[in-house]
Amino acid sequence: MQSAAPEPVVQMEGMRKVFGPVVALDGADFMLGSREIHGLLGGNGAGKTTLMNVLYGLYRPDAGRIRLRGEPVEIRGPADAIRHRIGMVHQHFLQVGSFTVTENVVVAAPLGGRLRLDLRSEQTRIRELADRFGLTVDPRARVEDLPIGIRQRVEIVKALYRGARVLILDEPTTNLTPQEVDGLFRSLRTMVEEGLSVVFITHKIREVLAVCDRISVMRDGRTVLTQSRAEGAEEGLVRAMVGGQLDTRRSVLFTGRDAEGAPAPSGEPVLRLEGLRADGGAIEVRRSEILGIAGVAGNGQTELAESLIGLRPDSAGRVTINGAPLVGGPAGAMARGIIYIPEDRLDEGFLPTASVAENLVLGFHRRPEYSRGRLFNRRAVLDVARGLIREYNIRTPGPEEAAANLSGGNIQRLMLARAFAHPSTLLVAHNPTRGLDIPSTEFVYEKLLALRAAGGAVVLLADDLDELLLLSDRIAVLYRGRVVGVRERGRADRYELGRMMSGVA
Amino acid sequence: MAEQLITFTGLVLMTMVPYVLASQGTMLGGRAGVFSVAQEGIMLVGASVGFLGTYATGSLTAGAVLAMAAGGLFGLALAYFTTSLKMNQFVIGLALFFTGLGLSTLLYKVTIGVTLTPPLIPTLPVEPVPVLARLPVLGRVLFSHNVLVYLTLLLSAALYYVLYHTPAGLALRSVGENPMAADSLGVNVGRVRYVTVIIGGALMGLAGAYLPMVYTGTFTEGIVRGRGWLAIALTFFGGWTPHLIVLGAVFFAAIEVLSFGAQIRGIGLPYQFLQMLPYLATILIMIPAFRRVRVPAFLGQNYHRERRTQA
Amino acid sequence: MRRALPYVLALAAAFAVAGVFVAAMGFNVPRAYATILFTSFRTPAGFAQTLLKFVPLLLQALAFTVPLAARKFNIGGEGQLIVGGIGAAGAGILLAGLPAPVLLPLVIAAGLVFGALWAAIPAWLLYRFQINEILTTVLMNFVSFSLIDFVATAVWRDPAAGHPTTVPIGAGARLPLLAASPPLHSGLLLALLAAGLVYVYMRRTTAGYELAATGANPRAALIHGIAVPRIFMLALVLGGALAGLSGAIEVAGVHHRLIEGMQSNYLLLGIIIGLIARGQIAAVPFVAFFIAVLEVGASAMQRTMMIPAEMVFIVEALVLVFVLLSDLVRRR
Repeated sequence: MQSAAPEPVVQMEGMRKVFGPVVALDGADFMLGSREIHGLLGGNGAGKTTLMNVLYGLYRPDAGRIRLRGEPVEIRGPADAIRHRIGMVHQHFLQVGSFTVTENVVVAAPLGGRLRLDLRSEQTRIRELADRFGLTVDPRARVEDLPIGIRQRVEIVKALYRGARVLILDEPTTNLTPQEVDGLFRSLRTMVEEGLSVVFITHKIREVLAVCDRISVMRDGRTVLTQSRAEGAEEGLVRAMVGGQLDTRRSVLFTGRDAEGAPAPSGEPVLRLEGLRADGGAIEVRRSEILGIAGVAGNGQTELAESLIGLRPDSAGRVTINGAPLVGGPAGAMARGIIYIPEDRLDEGFLPTASVAENLVLGFHRRPEYSRGRLFNRRAVLDVARGLIREYNIRTPGPEEAAANLSGGNIQRLMLARAFAHPSTLLVAHNPTRGLDIPSTEFVYEKLLALRAAGGAVVLLADDLDELLLLSDRIAVLYRGRVVGVRERGRADRYELGRMMSGVA
Repeated sequence: MAEQLITFTGLVLMTMVPYVLASQGTMLGGRAGVFSVAQEGIMLVGASVGFLGTYATGSLTAGAVLAMAAGGLFGLALAYFTTSLKMNQFVIGLALFFTGLGLSTLLYKVTIGVTLTPPLIPTLPVEPVPVLARLPVLGRVLFSHNVLVYLTLLLSAALYYVLYHTPAGLALRSVGENPMAADSLGVNVGRVRYVTVIIGGALMGLAGAYLPMVYTGTFTEGIVRGRGWLAIALTFFGGWTPHLIVLGAVFFAAIEVLSFGAQIRGIGLPYQFLQMLPYLATILIMIPAFRRVRVPAFLGQNYHRERRTQA
Repeated sequence: MRRALPYVLALAAAFAVAGVFVAAMGFNVPRAYATILFTSFRTPAGFAQTLLKFVPLLLQALAFTVPLAARKFNIGGEGQLIVGGIGAAGAGILLAGLPAPVLLPLVIAAGLVFGALWAAIPAWLLYRFQINEILTTVLMNFVSFSLIDFVATAVWRDPAAGHPTTVPIGAGARLPLLAASPPLHSGLLLALLAAGLVYVYMRRTTAGYELAATGANPRAALIHGIAVPRIFMLALVLGGALAGLSGAIEVAGVHHRLIEGMQSNYLLLGIIIGLIARGQIAAVPFVAFFIAVLEVGASAMQRTMMIPAEMVFIVEALVLVFVLLSDLVRRR
C-alpha cells in the first residue's frame, strides 16, 4: 500500500465530520504531494467532497488535524483557505449568472484596497492568466450566457486569480465532452509544470488512470487506499471503492452484465417525437427499448424531458404516445402512464412537509386505488406505503413520519420506489443516478434493465456518457435543442459522440 | 398653470421622502437576500419614537436619530432571527410588523397617556440651499425643502455609487445573487446581511419619523396608512435598484399628492374613491413591474453553509 | 403531552419576558397577569364575551391558514371581512322584509361570496401576472377601508349615528341567540362548523392533498400533475370566503348593521394565531380560544389597572417568537 511519497503540501489526519445522524467523514487521512495531480476516487457519499470542503474551510471538522507544508493550520472559512493559497472548483459552479466573468472573478479580491472598482485593468489580467493555462475566456461575457465548459474555466480562473497553489476540482468532467476532458487534462498538466498541486475528485477509474500521479480511494468516510498510478491495477481500485457492498463480478455497473443480450425492441412505437431531429425525421421508442439522450448539459435536455411529461407542450417537438397525441399537461401525461424521475429529485420530486406515505403517491394520488371520488383514501395510501417502505428498504419509523426527517439516501430510495412501483407506459429518467452511492446506482441500473426486459420503454437522459453507453439500445445526441444524430448500441464511439455533442460533426 | 406645476413638483419631492427611504432600506437588505415585510411596523415605531424623542428632548435631530436607532434595532432582530437562527423571513417579518404595531402605540400611551388635545412637536423647517434656491423654477422645485429631502436624494446617489462602483457593492450584490459563491470567495455572508438589514431598518425608522416631523406634528395609530406596504411595491417597481426607486417614488408621491389635492378641492367623485387611488394605482402598476423586474436570485432565502441537500 | 410541552414553555417564557416590561413600567405584574388570564372564567358574561371574540378570531385564523397550507400569505382578511360584511349588510338591508329562513342564509351566503370575490382579485393577479399576493392582499385592505366608509356614509347611512354606520338589517337577518343572558349568538356554531369542514377538506379529500402537496413543494406538485396556479388561486379564494363569513357573522350576529371599524384588529390576531398553530388546522381553534382569553383579559386590564391593552400584543408576538424558537430547538 505504501508508495514513493513526494514532498507533502497538504496533510489531513483523522478528519471527522458528522451531519445530524450521518457520519460523512470517519477518520479520513489524506496527503497531497507537491506538483502532483492526486486523484480522489470513490462513489457518491464516500466523503470525497466533504473532505475537500473541510480543507477549503466550508465545513468545520468535528475532529482531525490539517498541516500545510508541514505547519499545523486551522482553516475557519474560505477566506483562510484562500489566504493559504488553496482554491476549489465545485461540481455545482458557484457563480452569479447575471454578473460578467470579470465581476465573478474579482468578488472579494483585495484589489489593492482601492475604493473604486476598476474592472478594465482586471479584465486584462484575467485574459492573460486564462490564456497562460489554456483556459481562454472572454472576461466581458455574462456568465449565464456561457456554455458549461466555459463556465468551468471561469471557476478555475477564479482560483488561479487568487494565486492558488493547491487546486481542488470536484468531479470536473461531469459536463464535458471527451474532447473537453482531454483539454482540461492538458491544462492541469500545465498547472503542475508551473508548480501547482492538484486534487482531482472523481468516481471514474478511467479518469484517474488517465491523468493522476497518485490515487487515494475513499469509502464510507475513510481513506482505504493510497497508491501511485504505476501500482494501479483497475481491479484493485474497484475493490477498494466498493468494499463488500456489492458483488462486482455480477454488477451491471462494473461488468455490463445483462445490458447486452436482452430482448430486442419490438412492436409499435410507444413514443413518437416529431420536430426534434435536425434532419426532420421522427424519433421513436418501442417496447423493450432504452433510448439514451446524450449532450452537454444545457442543450435542451430539461426542455425535452419536460415536453415528454406534458409540462412544455410543443417546446421540443410533438409528442405522441401509443399513437395518440399527448394532451392535458402533466396531469394528462401521468394519466397516460408516463412516469418521470427528475434530475433534481429534491427540488422537483420531494414534499418535505408531507408524510412519507403522501410522498409515495405524489402524481398517482388521483388513481382509483388512492381516491374514491373526491375523497382521499388515507388507509389505502398507508397500506401501499408500508409495502414500499419494506420493499425498497426506506429507513423510517413509519409511513406517517414527516418526510423531511429522512436521510438523503432514504429520500432517494423513496423517489425511486415511487417511480418503479407504479406501472408505466414510458419512463423518463433524467440523470437518475446523480448523487447516488454505488449500491444505489447498481440498483437503478438493475431496475431499468428489468423494466426493459419486461417490455417497458425508457427515455434515459444522462450527462454521463459511460452510463448511456452501458444501458442504451440507441443514443441520440442533443445539441442546442436539436437531435443532431442517433447511434445504435455498439456503433457508438465516445469521441464521435463528443464531436456531435459540441456541434462539430 | 406653470405656478401650479412648480408647487406640485415641490410637493411631490417633499412627499416622496418616506417612500424613498423605506424602499431603499428594503432594497438594501434585499440585495443581500433578506426580504423584510416589517416596513409598516418599523415605520410606525419610527414615527412614535421620532415624535416622542423630539417631544422629550426638544430636538428634531435627536428624535430622528432615536427613530433610526429604533428602526436599526428592528433590523437587528430581523437579521438575528433569519441570518443567525435561519427562521423563515416572511414569518419573522410579520412578527416584527405586529410588534412594531403594538409597540408604537404602547410607547405613546405609556409616555403621553390619553389626552384631549395631543401634544405637538415643531415640524421640520424649510431650509433653502444658499444661492441655488434663488435659481428660477429649479430653485423652488429642488432647493427649497426640508433637510431630509436633500439627504434622501444624496443618500440615494451614494447607494447607487456604492452598489455599482465599489468592491464592497459588488460583494454585497453577490450575496443576494448567490451566497454560496460569495461565501466561497471569502465574503462574510452573515456580516453583509446584518449590516444591510440594520441600515435598512434605520432608514425605515427615519421614514416613519418623517411623518410626524413634516405632516402632523404628532403621532396617531393610523399615521403610516400603508406607506410601508407601498414601499415594498415601490421596491419591486424600481427593480431593486436605487436610481429607479427614486424615479418610481416620484410616481407614488405624485399619486398621493393628486389624491390628497382632489379630496380637498373636490372633483365630483366621492372622496372615498380618491382615497383608494394610491392603493389601486399601485396594484395596477405592479402588473407591468412584475413582468419585467429581476429580483435578487436569493431574495427571501436564508443561507446555511453546512446544510447539505443530499447526504 | 410531549407535544404540548414546547407550547407551555414558550408561553411561560413569553410571559416572563413581558413581565419584565410590565414591571419596568411600574405595574403590579401578578395582578396584571391574573386579570389577563382569569377574566374570561370569572363570570358568565366574561366567558360569553370570550366566545364572541373567539368567533372572528377563529375564522380570520383559518382565512390565513388555508392559503398558508399552499404556501400563500393572505394578509387581506381584514378587507375580506369588511367586504363580506358589506355584502351581508346589503342583503340584510335590501331584502329586509323577507322571513328569517330565507333571509338569514342569503345574508350568510352574501358574506361568503363577497369575501371570496374580494380575495379573488389578488388571486387572479397572482394567477395571471404572478404578482406577489402579500402586497396585493394588504393593499386591498386599504381599499376596503374607503369602501366601507363610502357605504356607511353615502349609501345606507344611519343619520342618527355619530360614527359611520348603516341602518340596521332586517329582523329576519339576525342570527338567533344561543343564550339570552349573557347574550351569545349562534355564529359560534357556524364558525365551528366552518372549522370542521376545513379540517375534513384538508385531511380527507383529494383536493386537500393537492393543496398540501403544493404548499410542500410547488415545483414538485406541478411536475406531478397538480394544477399549481389554480390551487394557489383556490386557496386564496377559500381564505377570502372564510374571512367574508366572519364579516357576515359580525353584521348578523353582533352589530346587526355595518359599522366602520368593526374589523378591529382581528386580521393581525388571526395571522398570529395561524403562525402560533404553525399552520396546523387542528390546532387553530385552541390557539384562537387562548388568544381570545388574552384579548378579553387585556381590555379588563386596561379598564381596571390602566395598563395599555397593546401590552398584550407584545405578549402575543413574544409567544409566537418563542413557539418558533422551540421548533428550532426540537429540530436540533
